Parts: sequence; C-alpha cells; structure tokens
Amino acid sequence: MAEYMSMNTLRFIIHEMLQVEKLCALPRYQDYDKESFDILLDSTKAYADKALFPVFKEMDEQPARFENGKVIVHPSVGQIMKDSGERGAIGSTFDYEVGGLQLPHVLHSAVTHIAQSANNSLPGYTGLTGGAANLIISFGEQSLIEKFVPKMMKGEWAGTMCLTEPQAGSSLSDITTAASPNDDGSYQIKGQKIFISGGDHEYSENFVHLVLARVDGAPLGTKGISLFVVPKFRIKEDETLEPNDVITAGDFQKMGQKGYCTTHLVFGENDNCQGWLVGTKNKGLKHMFQMMNGARIDVGLTAVSTATAAYHASLQYAKERPQGRRVESGGVKNASEEQTPIINHPDVRRMLLLQKSITEGAIALLLQASLYQDMSEAGPEEDRVRYHDLLELLTPIAKTYPSEMGRVSISNGVQVLGGYGFCTDFPLEQYYRDIRIMALYEGTTGIQSLDLLGRKVIMKNGEAMKHLTKEIIETITNAANYDDLKPYAEELKNASKQLQEVIMHLVQYAMKGEHERFIADATVFMDFMSTITIAWQWLKMATVAKTALITGNTTFETSFYENKIHTMRFFFKYELPKIHGLKVTLMRPESLTILEQDQSILA
Amino acid sequence: MKLLVCVTKTPETTAKIAFTANGTAFDTNGVQYIMNPYDEWYALVRALELKEAQGGSVCLINVGSPSNDTVIRKGLAIGADEAVRINAEPKSSLYVAKQIANYAKSEGFDIVFAGKESIDYNGSEVSAMIAELLDVPFISYASHMELEGNVATVSRDIEGGTEVVEVATPFVISAAKGLAEQRIPNMRGIMMAKRKPLKVVEPIAADDLTEAVGYELPPAKSAVKLIDPENMDELVRLLSEEAKVI
Repeated sequence: MAEYMSMNTLRFIIHEMLQVEKLCALPRYQDYDKESFDILLDSTKAYADKALFPVFKEMDEQPARFENGKVIVHPSVGQIMKDSGERGAIGSTFDYEVGGLQLPHVLHSAVTHIAQSANNSLPGYTGLTGGAANLIISFGEQSLIEKFVPKMMKGEWAGTMCLTEPQAGSSLSDITTAASPNDDGSYQIKGQKIFISGGDHEYSENFVHLVLARVDGAPLGTKGISLFVVPKFRIKEDETLEPNDVITAGDFQKMGQKGYCTTHLVFGENDNCQGWLVGTKNKGLKHMFQMMNGARIDVGLTAVSTATAAYHASLQYAKERPQGRRVESGGVKNASEEQTPIINHPDVRRMLLLQKSITEGAIALLLQASLYQDMSEAGPEEDRVRYHDLLELLTPIAKTYPSEMGRVSISNGVQVLGGYGFCTDFPLEQYYRDIRIMALYEGTTGIQSLDLLGRKVIMKNGEAMKHLTKEIIETITNAANYDDLKPYAEELKNASKQLQEVIMHLVQYAMKGEHERFIADATVFMDFMSTITIAWQWLKMATVAKTALITGNTTFETSFYENKIHTMRFFFKYELPKIHGLKVTLMRPESLTILEQDQSILA
Repeated sequence: MKLLVCVTKTPETTAKIAFTANGTAFDTNGVQYIMNPYDEWYALVRALELKEAQGGSVCLINVGSPSNDTVIRKGLAIGADEAVRINAEPKSSLYVAKQIANYAKSEGFDIVFAGKESIDYNGSEVSAMIAELLDVPFISYASHMELEGNVATVSRDIEGGTEVVEVATPFVISAAKGLAEQRIPNMRGIMMAKRKPLKVVEPIAADDLTEAVGYELPPAKSAVKLIDPENMDELVRLLSEEAKVI
C-alpha cells in the first residue's frame, strides 16, 4: 500500500515536541497514558489502511449525486458511520457523563490527521455529526440531549450545520430563514440552506440539522440570529419517526471532494417543519461559533492531511522515476550512465522539501493549537484564559495556512510528476482538486484574515499577541542554546520584531478611524503572520530534534532527527524570507484596493 | 473454556534492519515495534471468537521486558481478558517455549494459540515446542477451525490443497491467514485495556541449546537490466552466467 502520511513524524510531534503524556497528570485525562495514546494512533492507522484509503479514488470516480429526489453516496459512508459509532470515535472528546471518552483534543486531531490523509471525504460525515452533537450538549436542554445525542454518537443519526443561504454566505447577518413560535414551545422553521455538507443520504436513518434562523421580530444583523435543532424526521411519542418537512432539493456537483455530498435543503415548504431552540434566543451565532471554531481546526487538519498525502505520493514517484542525469562538476552529463531517479535533481528535491516543510510545519501548528484547547479546558485554572486566547489567535492561521499553502504544496507535488501529475492515473490531480475547497468553506481565507487582523490580533488590547510572542521567545531562547541553531533563532527573533512593527503600523489606521484601510490587506497580513508562525513551529521541532541527537535520547533513527533540522533550514532559507516582501506591501502607504473610485478602474 | 494466546513483539514492517556488535545483535536504534500480525490478526481473534461463542476467558502470554507492555496492552484492547508477561529476554525459541509451557501447565488451558511464525525470525518453532513440552497435540498452519464440544475440526493449508484434521482439547494450534479476520481495537477497548490485569511473572531457569553467532543482510538488489528483444543471445548469457538460473 502506498504511504499517505508519516506515523513517525506524528509520533515525534505528539510525544517529543508536545509531550502530550503530561496531559495525563490533569484530572480530566487521568485515565489515559502514553501506551493508550500509542495504541489509539496505531489502531487508527490500521483502520485507515483497511477502510478509508482503499476507497479514496473510488469515491472521486463515483461522486455523490442527486437522483430521483435522493442523494446517492458511496457505500463507505454507511460503513464509516457504523464503524465510528462502534469505535467510540464520534464525540470521543466529550465528557464521560454524556457517553464520551474525554479524549484530549490533541489526540483527536492526531487521529483526524491519520484518517483525513487516507481519505479527505469520508471523515467529514462523522466529524460534523460529533460537532453537531457537541452543540446540543453545550447549549441544548436536557430533553434535546436525550432525544438526539445518543443516536448521533452511535453513528445511527447524522448531524449537520446549516448556516449558508442562497443570498447569505460570508455575510450571515443577512440570513432570512424564519422561526415562528408554536404553542408547545417549538418553532415553525421556513427557509432554504445551501452548501450543507453531509446533509442527506441513504445511510443515516435521520439527520439532525443545526439551523441558524431568525425568530419573528428579532433584531436585524447577527444579533437577531438564533440556533435550532431541526431533524429531518420528528420523533413521535412512540419513538417512531415521521417526516419533518425537510426536503432535499439537490446535491451540488463540485470540482473536488466529490465523495462528500453537499446538499441544498428546503425547510418548511409545506409549513410543517418543527425546530427546537438551542441555547438562548438571538445568541445563535455565538453558540454556532463554538462549533465553527472546532470546524475550522478540522478544515485545517483536512487541508494539511490532503497535502501530506500528496507529498508522500510525489515522494514515492520521485524515488522511482528515472529521468535524466546529474550534472557533473564540469557542467556536462554522461549520456552513457543510467538515468538517475528524479529525486536526485536539485529542483525536484527543492519541490519535495517545500512540500515537507509546509505540511509538517502545518500539522505541528494544528496539534499545538489543539493542545492549547486541552489546556484551556482542563489545564490549571489560572492558565486557562491564556491558553484560550492563544487558541483564539491561532485558529484562523491554523485553518488558513494549510488551506492556502497546502494548495501550493500539492501544486509542487503535481509538478514533480510532470505530465503524469495532470493525469488521472496518479492521485496528485485529485488532491489538487480536493484541497481547493478548504480555503472556501468554514469561512473563506478573506473572512479568516479579517478575523485574524480585525479581531484576534487586537483582542483584549493585544493580550493574545503578547502570549504568542512569549511562546515564540521561549522557543528562540531554547534554540539559542545550540550554536548551529543560533542563526535561525536570530532570524525568528527578527521576524517576530517585524511582526510587531507591521501590527503597530496597521493598528494606527484603526486608531485614526480608517477601519476599512486597517483591514484592506488582511489577507496579505495573514500570509505574513502565518509564515512567521510556521517558522516558529519549525524552530521548535528542530530544537527538540537537536536535543534528542545530543542527549542520545532518541526514539527514531538518527537520520530522522537530522532530517527535521534540515527541513527547518530549508523553511528558513526558502519560505521565511518572503515576509520581507510582504512587509514592504503592508507598510506601503498607497491605498489601491479601497473603493475610492468607481469600478471602472478594473475595466 | 480457558484459552491462552502467545504473542510476541516484532519490528514494524517498514523498519530498517541493521545489526550491531559485529553482526551478532539486532540494532534496535530507531525501530518501532508491533504485535506479530499472525498472533494478533488470527490467533488472538479466533480465540476471542471462541470465547464469545462458548464463554470462558482469553489470556495473553508474552516473554519479554517491560517495553513489551504496549504490545500486550494492544491485545487487551482488542478483547483479551488478562495478560501475563514472563519478565525475561526471549533468548531463543526453546527458552521462550519452556517459559510459556511452564506457565500453561500450571494453569491448565484448553487451547494454546500462537501465530504460525513471527515475521522477524520466521522460526515457526515456539508453538511446536510448547506442545511437545506440554505433551499435547500440535496443529500447525491452521486456516480454519471449528469447535464442537471438546473436539476441533481444523483445516491446514498444505502443498497443493487442504488437510482437515480432528483433535480433542487440550492442544496447541498455530494460526495462519484465514483463521480469523483482523480486529482493530476501538476506543473504549483501549481505555478498558488499562484496567485489565497484566501479571508479571519471573522466569524459570531454562537452558538454551542454540546460540546466534551472527546475522547478515541479504545482498542488495541489483538494478533491472533491459535487454534488446532482438538480442536473445545476450539474454541467455545473462540468465546463465549472472543469474545462474539456466
């Protein structure tokens, strides 16, 4: 079987870099130990090898589709729902009291990485179900929890999140789906939702939709949005199901992730669709954002996993494909020599190292963010706010960097294969199509960038940024203990200083009331800050690797640790210097994108 | 029904194999370990199926150091009820067999399961030795097994076909592909494994009859040679002089 991810790299980040077994000292995670984490990782890999990877291509070739009023998906969807329920994988991070296993988020993310690398379409079905169940548990009344959550956790019922409407995508303040109160405390729901992932298929007996809607008379904008649970089938008193006037109008045909159905749902066309309020009226968007934040981390994981699988596919090809000969010292090639595998050509090696540095840097960041989530929920009381702020700050980066740079990474993977990369005989073209959605759903790159610069960087008067800077300085200090890492520590120190300068420069616009100007180049800022963030993760990995080599306290082969240091050096040579150009753009006073003239400037 | 399953630890299938100490010892540097697949996928799972159908208990046994506990825990996570680790380096097949046979004799198991071989040394020796030491029948390379009362009907893959044998308990059986289907531990099983008993037993004195004096790797694979289809003489020469197959 082809390799699609590196278990050793995952183990290295989990155990040696993040030292997650320290979590087991916290009361919430005391039932776990390193052994159980290892067995979980290995078991997930075995499951992914057996059930997920073998159908990856097939699901692309047999896409989800809408036929005769039904959504047809690959039979593996039914299998993964059943298996995940039995394996305890849905809601594994939940409390014991509601049937969860109190698995640390960082382990959940590691497990997700394995599964998504094997098949980036299938795990979404169960991930969304777990996310929807979590929302009901967090904000719903006990009766709703008892009615819906157990069957969702068993994989018998699926869950979805319904935000987008035909006229309201990124701007959720403009949604129009209506909720009118009934006498029994429920609501009549009426409206349309589009782009609903996993919204309908034959392998779940019910679908539990978490729907954003406006209660009659609610204030305009986001402050008038409420959250409802709206099942496809209502549960009657005798526990049997009856239709709830939720109609599937179609399934969107997409360029990638074709195995993951994306439905158009119509609620209450016959005025017979019942929903139940979850949480507080008019606080629905705030509640939903709990799920959205988790979903954004999950999208980042899907993106990095897709790019990771593409990297391993291109690496394998580069090892096996003989083409051309190496240039000898005199600048000539010996035509009588056998052709060399293309991995030996510097430009191919550059493309492979670029992929390795992007994907491993990104998975390190995602796992780091997940560890912050664990610490924010279960760590020492006095540290929780700090970890929560770090998670909040890093979430838009953890979603966006893998989505954007993962695409660049896969593009380089396609390039390694040459013309074959463009052909369906190899998986690279599928990975390239699949990853494109990641920069779009769960908040586009533009939305994430606005969130980062316009909200997170300045939240609590820059408190979260101070925490991050402290973390970066700690990494720099540790790296500087080793002479050969000192130059890189200096570079990151310099980059961190430039980050502060750019933020100070941009914040001035906000202070002057020029808010549109403040956020106009938010996406450029995202590129700038995320590159520095990944450099931080690489220096951290390299320092851990260096320590292992020097102390001899190694789990893997010596070359494994040397490779990590080499890849850090690559990132610092080829990627980190890009921040200088981005800084020039961000600091330049010209304003060229704000609408000061009419649209004719684009003519 | 009391069932004992012998499990051993082997290097991961992708591990790079190297030797140290002048070729007399396996280089464990950087090697990740797994449970021997024949033990895990077939021997253990068939034992669990029998327990589920007929009641009883499944006990794992391993000879090795505390570092083997992760592999043993995995077996508990898959469904075994308890485990025993004989706290000794597994010096040779006979040494391991003596340790296991000694424990099995004291506990009185109905069936002792093992994989048909470990995927590192490929000896296929331990299970046969255990049977001999216990003085019970031994069925090797079992690919199918049904139990009726205390009589098992076992299919064995043999050259060109299948041999079907009957055997009454107690006996030792070595499991081949087909005896069962791999089970992957679920998360609840993994958590429960931590609470299941893993007993550590000190070894008995036992002599070795053999000593490994050296290991060597097979020669590296040479590159593929492409022969012009018109040049059959060259093909014949290479097959005769280099490959030495004709």
